Parts: sequence; C-alpha cells; structure tokens
Amino acid sequence: MRRSDRPIRAMGIGIGIMLVLAACGGGNTAPTSSAASPTSPATSSGSPTAEAAEIEWYVGLGTGENEEQIPREEAVVKAFNDAHPNIHLKLTVVDNTEAADTLATRIGAGDAPDIIGPIGIRGLQSFGDQLLDLAPYIKSSGVDLSQIDQSLIDVYNVGGKQIGIPMAVYSSFIYYNKTLFDEAGVDYPPHKVGDKYDGKDWTWDTVRDLAMKLTVDKNGNDATSVDFDADAIEQYGLDAQFTENDARAWATIFGGSGSVLADDGKTAQWPDNWRAGLQYYYDGVWKDHFIPDKTAVDALAAGNTFQSGLIAMDVVHQWYTCCIYPTEGKAAVTDWDIAVLPVGPDGKITSKLHADTIGIMDSTEHPDAAFEALTYLTASPELIQTWGAMPAVESQRADFFAGLDKQFAPLDIDWSVSEAMLGYPDKPSHESFMPNFAEADSANKDLGSQLWTTSGLDLKSVIDKHVETLQSIFDKAT
Amino acid sequence: MSLSVETARPAVAVEPPSPGRWESLTGREARSGLLFVGPWIIGFALFTALPMIASLVLSLTDFDPRSPDEIHFIGLQNYARMASDPILLESLWVTVRFALLVVPVTLGAALGVAMLVNSTLLAGRNTFRTLFYMPMQIPIVASTVVWIGVLNAQNGWLNMGLRALGLPGPDWLTSTFWVHPALTLMGLWGIGNMMLIFLAGLQSVPTELYDAARVDGAGKLASFRHITLPMISPVLFYNLIIALIATFQYFTQAYVVSNGRGDPARATLFFNLNLYREGFGFFHMGYASALAWLLFAIVLALTVVLFRTAGHWVYQGGER
Repeated sequence: MRRSDRPIRAMGIGIGIMLVLAACGGGNTAPTSSAASPTSPATSSGSPTAEAAEIEWYVGLGTGENEEQIPREEAVVKAFNDAHPNIHLKLTVVDNTEAADTLATRIGAGDAPDIIGPIGIRGLQSFGDQLLDLAPYIKSSGVDLSQIDQSLIDVYNVGGKQIGIPMAVYSSFIYYNKTLFDEAGVDYPPHKVGDKYDGKDWTWDTVRDLAMKLTVDKNGNDATSVDFDADAIEQYGLDAQFTENDARAWATIFGGSGSVLADDGKTAQWPDNWRAGLQYYYDGVWKDHFIPDKTAVDALAAGNTFQSGLIAMDVVHQWYTCCIYPTEGKAAVTDWDIAVLPVGPDGKITSKLHADTIGIMDSTEHPDAAFEALTYLTASPELIQTWGAMPAVESQRADFFAGLDKQFAPLDIDWSVSEAMLGYPDKPSHESFMPNFAEADSANKDLGSQLWTTSGLDLKSVIDKHVETLQSIFDKAT
Repeated sequence: MSLSVETARPAVAVEPPSPGRWESLTGREARSGLLFVGPWIIGFALFTALPMIASLVLSLTDFDPRSPDEIHFIGLQNYARMASDPILLESLWVTVRFALLVVPVTLGAALGVAMLVNSTLLAGRNTFRTLFYMPMQIPIVASTVVWIGVLNAQNGWLNMGLRALGLPGPDWLTSTFWVHPALTLMGLWGIGNMMLIFLAGLQSVPTELYDAARVDGAGKLASFRHITLPMISPVLFYNLIIALIATFQYFTQAYVVSNGRGDPARATLFFNLNLYREGFGFFHMGYASALAWLLFAIVLALTVVLFRTAGHWVYQGGER
C-alpha cells in the first residue's frame, strides 16, 4: 500500500507546487507593448548597457497616452538612447484614468519611476511633494529659461521648490462655428481685445444675448423667441466643454480669477466674482437654455460638443485643436475660427490657463541622468507636436502655428487670438493648491455635477453649504 | 467431500491493528488532505487573511501611499472620524436607499423568471433558461457600457421606445432621482444566478402538495402563498442574504456610470465607491481601511439580524 501511494503523493505534491506557483504568480512580469493597449505598461527601446543608468519615464498623468502618440514617444526615447550611451531611458505608458492611482501605489511600494510627465498644474498638486527641486540642476547645467515667461516658471515653484520647467502652455479662448453664425445671420465674435460686438462691449452679457440667438429648437425658433421650446433644443449657443464638472473652472471662465482659499491659507471661501460666474453658468443652462446640461452634452458627440457641429461657441484651450474633427467619418464642423474671451463680472478678461511640464521624482537614484533626460524631453519639438502643445519657449511658437496652419488648410485660423489670450491668465490658477487637495478637488467637482444636472437650486445656499464642506476638508489637512 | 475440513480450518488469527498503526494511517490521510487543501490555505493566508490583518493595522494609521515613510500610529482616530464625516453618512444613505429598491425588485424578478421557466406551459423552457442566464457571462464593465448607451436620455433605445409610446423619457443617468431606478434596471440584467437557485428550489417542491391543495379548492395564488413560498423560503433566505451583501459591496456599475466620482451630485456615491475614493482618490489609505472594517461590521450585523429573523419565516423540513 505504502509503495503504491508514492506516485499519488508525488503527483499531489507536484500539483500542489504548481497550484501554489500559479496562485502566487503575477503572470508575465515582462513589460508588454502598450501600442495595443494603452493601459499596459510599458515600452522601452533597446537594452541598457551594463554601465548605463536606467531612467524610467512615466507617461499618463496628462496627455501622451493615446495610441497615436506612443510610437512617436518611443521614437524620441530611441533617439535619446542612441545619443546617450551612458543613460538608458525607458518609457512606461499608463492609461490616464489609472495613472495617478498606479503612481501612488508604486511610490508606496518603493518602486517610483524617475521622471513623470507631461503633467498639468492639477496633477502637480497631488505629487508635488514627491518631486525633486530642479533649481540646483538648472543652475549648474546652465539651462536657458530666459525665453519663458517668468509667470509660467513661477507656476511650477511649489513650496519654494522649482519642480518643473514649463514645457507647454495652453490659453483658452472661444472656438466658434462660422456656419452656424452665417445661418443665424449674426456677426462673428471679435478677434481683438477691446473690439466691440454689434456696437456693444464684448462682455459675458453680450455673449448671453448672442448665444441665445444661436440656440435653436427643433421648430427653428431661437431662445429669444416666445415660441422657443426648451425641451426640444437642437443647437446650443455656448459651451465650455471638457471642464469635467469642475466648479472652479466654470467659476473662472464666467467669473474671472479667484481662489477657494483665503489669504490666510486655511479658510475656505467662494469669492463674489465666482458666485456671479457660477450664477451666469447656471442660468445659462436652466433659465436661458443656451448652455447644454449634462444630458445634452452626453448626446452631443459624447461630450466633445463642438465636434457635433451643434455648438456655436465653445470655450476651450489651445490643446483642443487635437479634437475638432473626428478620427473617422465626415467632420460636422467645416468652417470655424477662434475669438477672444469677453470681459467678466470682475471687469477683466480671464483666459483659464493650462500648462504641462515634466518632473523628476525625488526618490530617483540618478538625479543627474534624470535631469539630462528631462532637458532633452522638454526641448523636443517632436514631443511638442505630438502633444499638440503650444511651446512655452516663445521662439518655438511660429513653427508650432505653421504646423497647425498646414493641418487645418484651407481654413485661415487667427492664431493671434491664442497668443493674445496668454496675456490674461487666471491668477491664481483654477487648479491651484488647496489643503487636502484631492478631496477638495473632488468636492468642487461634486458641486459642478450638482449644478450641471439639477434645476431649481438656490445657488447662494448651495455655495454656502459647499464652503462649509470645503472648510471641513481643509481642516482635516491641519 | 472435504468441505467441512476446509471450513473447519481455524482462521488465521487477524490481530486488530495496534493503535500506533491507526494513528499512522489517520496521520497519513491528514497529511494527504492537508497537501491537497494546502494551496488553498496558502492562497487564503496570503491573499485574504494577510491583507485583512494588514488593513486592520493600517486602519490605526495615517498611511498615505504617496509618502510611505511618514506613516504614524494614530489609534482609533480614523474610526472616530467616521462619526463626523458627512460624506460617509451620505454614502451610507445612498447605499441603504438603493438596497431598499434593488433587493426586492431583483428578488421578485428572479423568482418571477424562475417560475416562468419552470412552467410546463412554456415551450422551449431550456432555451429560455439559457437565455436568461446568458447575461451572466458578459463582463460587468462591458454590460454597463452597453446599458449607458441604452439609457441615454436623448438617443438611448429605452427613451426612444418610451417616446414612440408618447411617454416622456427621464434623464436616467443624470437625474439624482432616476439614477437608482436606472441602476436597478441594469441589475435585472444579472439575475441569472439568483434565477437558477430559485429554479432549483421550485423544482424541489413536491407536486403532491399542489395536487392536494387543488383537491382542497386552492387557487394559483393560494398555492403560491401557502405552498411555494414556504417551501422555497430557505432558498429565498439565501438569495436575500447574498443580495444584501452584494448591494453593500456595490461598486463596478456605479464606478463606470459615474467615472468613479459618484455623479450626478453624489447620488451614486455608494459606500464602496466612497471607500475607493478615500483610498485611491484622496490617498487616505488608513481611513479607507477603517471604512472597510466598518463595511465588514455592517454586513456581519445585517447577516446576524437576518439569521435571527429566519426562525419566523424560513421553513426547514416543513417546519419553521
């Protein structure tokens, strides 16, 4: 009996070992190509030489993780590795929706990458503490920042640390569909700051009047008509798409610069011009009906509302040149241009600004090599073009706009609007620091969701309650 | 014949096995059993028990995965914080409200479908059983994405159908009122398992009971009320517990529908989604661990309460 048991026991042991190994194994741990799936990390080019310092570049916190972008990023990485035998740059691409969580987990596991980016102002607020102060490296390497606006450099000075070199800037302005303006028989919006519209100052009130004329129901009545059917709107006058529920962003667009944080750095507030801005937006959605609510936005090109051809004016950033036309099929927008933003309730023009940079994690074992890679990447014209980014370095912008002219020919887009709007950035940024940032940011988006989906709100009491919520979130940070 | 000689031969004395030999046998069996169950034990220890213990320890700290070196022991502060966390209370209320809607609806629908596919009047019963079970094979994320399209207020199939009937279609996914009925509709898509369990219960009810009831003049409704329901009450009890636990762990559909944010206006911020946001969105991993233990306590308490009430309405072997 004992002898005949042996094969069974041996087999049992074998199966047991296999099961344990299968249970413990994490599958193929080797990096897989991310071209097929943007969520799969990662791609690398070539093998590191024995002496080369390996620098991992983590992409996904901002732009850069689209399938079309990855091969171009790989090409830049390969060019870098070819030119720098002492450094092996490795590209890791993670889907944007998972990038922040994944990075946090990797930091927690002591497995942080060396370089992260492109990353916007909002992303920096979440990981700014973990980034290396670049000031000593900028000084010792002699990197020339003279062509970059000082205010942009200051955006990346967080807590006394220079955590990034401005790489790309994206002013916001009004994209308008000329076809819809022609159909309505109204003039195009102004392209120059200070120009009037139809004899009136170019303010958000003027925009409201214009947008209502451009909002049309299924019977062809516009929103100024007594016969207008608000339940059957087919075309909207105005939107601020891709704002993603962010109440701070809407308040900035329609109200001007502001902050939820008082000067003492710990008291929550919602400034009066932001209250006016949110009221303008809310009335535009629910009272005057010239801005689409959440349901309508979902139905208009799945949120890319301007692309639907049913939005007359849309406040978006320079980066939106990426997405005006669909990747497949016939474009609904065929004739468009851009216009300057109007004067807000605070008496000023405010162009909500986005900016991208690349940073170095302070846990890197090779800060010098990482900085060398960073300076290469931030100066790469290929990456600027790949990411549709307006260069922070002024001398590179002419080439950038020439590329866009070629892309959108035969349209003659007035890019001077974009450059002019750079002179009116929101200060402080609508993505600026808040204590307990991620939770406070989420609360602001909850407010945005409420305004976007719920009619009949008493905005004053809603905002007052929101300030209380923010205060409790801020207090938790102390 | 010499048979008697053969049978008369004294049997070879068979000594009873010594206690040591029995121990050796049972020991070998125990070792073999352990060997086979070993992989599961190791997997459970590594991937269930250890993380549970780790989460209990983490719940007593202020662990932030972005700054793992700055972890501090803070005692019961995370648990104390729950009492003054308005978002937690909101998420609990969202979950309870949803449970009050989705649990009875899905139980009723699953039982109804099980009775339908158990009926002898239905032609092609096996085909229908397969069809009703088939959605279970579709990944939840994929089916949720499909449902988001179906429930689109302006161009979704459901509202197009309602409009064709002259009825107004609600904003299913963007209205704080309608989003729970919308999620319940999605939930009906996945009642296959529950239906199968009900079907097994229905098929175990002796048909003589129905015959006897019919002789006594009982109608269909009376038979259902006085025979079917009591006889399948153990199955109903099981499904109720499973449905309640699933509701308190509700996450994936809410995450997909609301992009992980609980939109619209936190109407889909279920307990588990709030837990996820705290841990992986706000990086309050210590607090999220405490929330996980709160969820464990709530589900355990609910289960205990249900078991306590079972004596009043669950029939085992024909008796309560």
